Amino acid sequence: MAGPSTHADAAAELATRPGHTNLRATLVRWLLITVSLTFLGALLAAPLAAVFSMALEKGWAAYFGSFADPDTRASIRLTLTTALIVVPLNTVFGITAAWCIAKFEFRGKSILITLIDLPLAVSPVVSGLIYVLLFGLNGWFGSWLQDHDISIVYALPGIILATMFVTFPYVARELIPLMQQLGNDEEEAAITLGAGGWFTFFRVTLPRIRWGLIYGVILCNARAMGEFGAVSVVSGNVRGLTNTMPLQIESLYNEYNMVGAFAVASLLSLLAVATLVIKTLVEGRAGYRRR
Amino acid sequence: MSIALDQVTKRYQEQPVVNDVSIDVGEGEFFVLLGPSGSGKSTLLRAIAGLTGIDHGRISLHGRDVTHVRARDRGVGLVFQNYALFRHMTVADNIEFALRVRRTKAAERRARRKELLKLVSLEGMDERLPGQLSGGQQQRVAVARALAHKPQVLLLDEPFGALDAKIREELRRTIRSVQRELGITTVLVTHDQEEAFALADTIGVMNHGRLLEVGNPSDLYAQPATRFVATFLGAANLLLARQAADGIRFGATPVSAAGAEPMQAGREHEVVAVLRPEEVEIGATRDELTSNYIARGAVEEIVFTGALERLRVRLLDEPCAAQLLGPSGNDDARLEITRTQHERRALPLAQGAQIAIGARRLHVLPTPLSSFLACAATEAEAAELAREPLLESLSTRMKTRVGLRAIDGLTGTPAPFSGVAAISGGTEAASTVEWLLRHGAAEVLVLPRNAPSPTRVYIHWTDEAARRATLAVAASLLRHVSAEAVYLGIVPEGRPGSGRAAPMRALLDARSDAQQHHGLEMRTELAIGETVSELTRNLSAGSAQMLVLGITDITQAGSAYRSLLAGQPGWPVLIVYRPPEARTAPDVVSGTAA
Amino acid sequence: MKSVSQREPSVIPGFGITLGFTTFFLSAIVLLPLSALVLKTAGMDWSRFVEVIASPRALASYRLSFGASLVAAGVNMVFGFALAWTLVRYEFPGRRLVDAIIDMPFALPTAVSGIALTTIFSANGWIGQYLEPYGIHVAYTPIGITVALTLISMPFVVRTVQPALQEVQRDLEDAAETLGAGRFYVFRRIIVPTVLPALLTGFTLAFARAVGEYGSVIFIAGNKAMKTEITPLLIVIRLEEFDYAGAAALGFVMLAISFVMLLAINLLQVWGRKRMMVSR
Repeated sequence: MAGPSTHADAAAELATRPGHTNLRATLVRWLLITVSLTFLGALLAAPLAAVFSMALEKGWAAYFGSFADPDTRASIRLTLTTALIVVPLNTVFGITAAWCIAKFEFRGKSILITLIDLPLAVSPVVSGLIYVLLFGLNGWFGSWLQDHDISIVYALPGIILATMFVTFPYVARELIPLMQQLGNDEEEAAITLGAGGWFTFFRVTLPRIRWGLIYGVILCNARAMGEFGAVSVVSGNVRGLTNTMPLQIESLYNEYNMVGAFAVASLLSLLAVATLVIKTLVEGRAGYRRR
Repeated sequence: MSIALDQVTKRYQEQPVVNDVSIDVGEGEFFVLLGPSGSGKSTLLRAIAGLTGIDHGRISLHGRDVTHVRARDRGVGLVFQNYALFRHMTVADNIEFALRVRRTKAAERRARRKELLKLVSLEGMDERLPGQLSGGQQQRVAVARALAHKPQVLLLDEPFGALDAKIREELRRTIRSVQRELGITTVLVTHDQEEAFALADTIGVMNHGRLLEVGNPSDLYAQPATRFVATFLGAANLLLARQAADGIRFGATPVSAAGAEPMQAGREHEVVAVLRPEEVEIGATRDELTSNYIARGAVEEIVFTGALERLRVRLLDEPCAAQLLGPSGNDDARLEITRTQHERRALPLAQGAQIAIGARRLHVLPTPLSSFLACAATEAEAAELAREPLLESLSTRMKTRVGLRAIDGLTGTPAPFSGVAAISGGTEAASTVEWLLRHGAAEVLVLPRNAPSPTRVYIHWTDEAARRATLAVAASLLRHVSAEAVYLGIVPEGRPGSGRAAPMRALLDARSDAQQHHGLEMRTELAIGETVSELTRNLSAGSAQMLVLGITDITQAGSAYRSLLAGQPGWPVLIVYRPPEARTAPDVVSGTAA
Repeated sequence: MKSVSQREPSVIPGFGITLGFTTFFLSAIVLLPLSALVLKTAGMDWSRFVEVIASPRALASYRLSFGASLVAAGVNMVFGFALAWTLVRYEFPGRRLVDAIIDMPFALPTAVSGIALTTIFSANGWIGQYLEPYGIHVAYTPIGITVALTLISMPFVVRTVQPALQEVQRDLEDAAETLGAGRFYVFRRIIVPTVLPALLTGFTLAFARAVGEYGSVIFIAGNKAMKTEITPLLIVIRLEEFDYAGAAALGFVMLAISFVMLLAINLLQVWGRKRMMVSR
């Protein structure tokens, strides 16, 4: 065993090294820690705290009262419905794409991967715009849809499509490197033992990727429920009908209904905290380190 | 002296990782620090480089005390096991790094770089990146880099560990030739004894933080002074023999052995002898042997290894005069024998064949602690005593056995005691000790229940006559526990100030005696007061402590030290007894006695 | 990483069906809509196109979006690096908590951070009230926009630099020390070059995210045309006016930027891997 192996051991040895002035090192250390924590505090902790503080500004009664508003309730229902449709679909896509990309070699694979990464680099507004261009009144299919009295834009289908566009990469991006790292050995062994494709997937692959899958799903869900820009463009902002929770927040805020707006925001914040907690647990659980 | 280490100690969480190590390395010498993992050798190297601070002692490089000097100002070159090359820099930039730090001019840097690349046979590789080189090439760049600033000392930390055998050999030759050409003082750390033999002018063997022996390779191989060195430097069979007035005996069979010292104090005692596998002679019958006859044996395993043949043989004589010590000191030990192909053709053997075994060359280890004998009222209790953690760990580390003996009621005349008698602590301990000493035991270990492995061992003798034996025993013990050694000199109260000089001199004498004749580095402390209370006070002051006590008067064990031995919760006490009439024989002082 | 040779038929089933479904999904959800954007733009008159994307209002919005994003990404490079360093090298109470919180902008909806930040930095907000007396207005100004962008793009830098810092072998620093280098020299010449690819990748990721950001910015921005109007907002306004062509043109510009960013990120990652080539 040569020198110290972990950063903690190295720090311990460093402290005993001749010429290492404890004063200067400690100063630097505390400076960095303070600066980092202040930066984080101002940017992250403060907003979270502000949400809850503003939501409860007028007391618990007012807080719970804001959820009695029918429009707010409708927005919650809409968000949940969207998530319930989008997340499973994207999960299926994610698993399928990961299987295809991780287990086989073929030309054009890198194009597929780039396409999967694309939504992450595109502005949410553009993500909504493209669907409006397809299905909006002046869009490609606009007149056809109007003739058949089908609304996509300014209705639930549009919201679902836009949300899907924005969130589909999450599960795939989690699973692809994971499955690449795990390799094909076990699946090949299962095949030679006579198992079919579905059997192999459910009994061999799924158990090994389950933590990555959970991780991807909760991220996908958090983003699906919280998406603002894309949905804003596509939904038309009709209160009570096509407002998701983030849009409802905007509406309430623009009406200066602070308690209402922050109350809804507090729900989403709780979701965010829960997401982070689950993420930390998953990482600890399987020693699973996301790159 | 190019490198001088004086009593260097480094502790990690109360345990000494490097324990009182003193070394002198001469100018241009190639010194190899050899030891198993965890022996502290890497830590010691890092301390010389200045990457780790030390808790006690001094480090000097070329006469300059660098103990508190920063690594970057020490002027050493260090080669790491994993090369530690700067991956984002070319080979040229890597090598020139030290010069760039010192703001050397570009032309000079280039010249030096070319010179070094030639030295390590990597000409033309200037613009390569480390990622484009093989392991062996990377290591050579690391060596060149470490030499750029013309350091006075070159340090290498297991530099060939990550490489294949063939590359390793090649690199060894490169390092050796570079070192000879430059004449630079070099210290290399390794756990591979073959490497040590191939490279070293001098080898220092370390274990558990202590430097056990220092010497040139052939001396250390032929005449090891300690069990550990004997078994680490090559395969070794360890045999228990008795030292009698007429020499060494296996049971009743006398053998001639090298390294034996004259018997001490007129008492027979047990010794450990080393028999190397290649020094074993085999014959079909006893008469065919030309060397010392040991026993008859049956061949259990034959392994062909190309140039040699290896045999594992079970000794047949019951009871066997020569007792073989197995890896855990138990009774299924096998004798390891190595034969050349020439010998094999002279006497081909199959599995199960019965042979006569002789020893061409035996080397007696000058170690006073040969084995342990657990003594208690019944054999069952003795077995339980043998399982005490401290006793078990000592016997495993010393690679020796723990025998069992029922001493019932301290009556009668028991069979002779061999080795160290071990008993449990308690109120009866003092009388038991006295009885054992009267009946022939020379050392007695009093073990309180669940005593932990000590981190500090106090040494004291009541009379100068017991000094030598006590130091020998303490030195042997301390090679097998990671503990600091402190000699406690005690003078009675009431001495006027000027009377301090003599005791202080006695302390210094004790320390230099320990160092020179027993290879033991120990601290010294002076206490004033009554012996037993001072000992008790110091022992109680910390946790995990132990005492080695030398006495010349048996009654003292019974009376004066009764309270010490019965103390609660108690500490392990190793009593060393030498009757005063030993001094009729002149004191023979040998090399690194143990 | 094991992979199946291209020439032999794979023993693992499902190639056809998974490739088919993936391609279908991607075509329907991604390619089709994107091509609508591209074609819409292509169908435009060239002069009209230039008029839209080069209008003074559009140019002002580019300056704002890109400028603020550059500053935000830059600030994050410095503070994000400091954060990553602190997390990797130091032990302090609450370290695990801090490590977990870093990902908050990934999980928190943009609208929520938008209104929260506006509240905090408005004239009588928690932090705004201390800055007001010095004439520093954050809410409804470009400064506010930059602050919001810094928040949402911060995790990108930290999460990219953290693993790179973790990988830095302490051996290298020790080696440099024995060769005579001081701590700052080591930092400058050894550590920074080693994590540079990761740093730049993080910067680019942060920039790409910030340029297109809408939700967190829209509340704090004030949205005054020519002054505090970001490009995505301009697109939304065009849509509300049913100027699909205009919106598409601007969207095209943003899409083009996105592609360039993606390309840059990929190249940076390849460069980073090459530099750290390990031969063992």
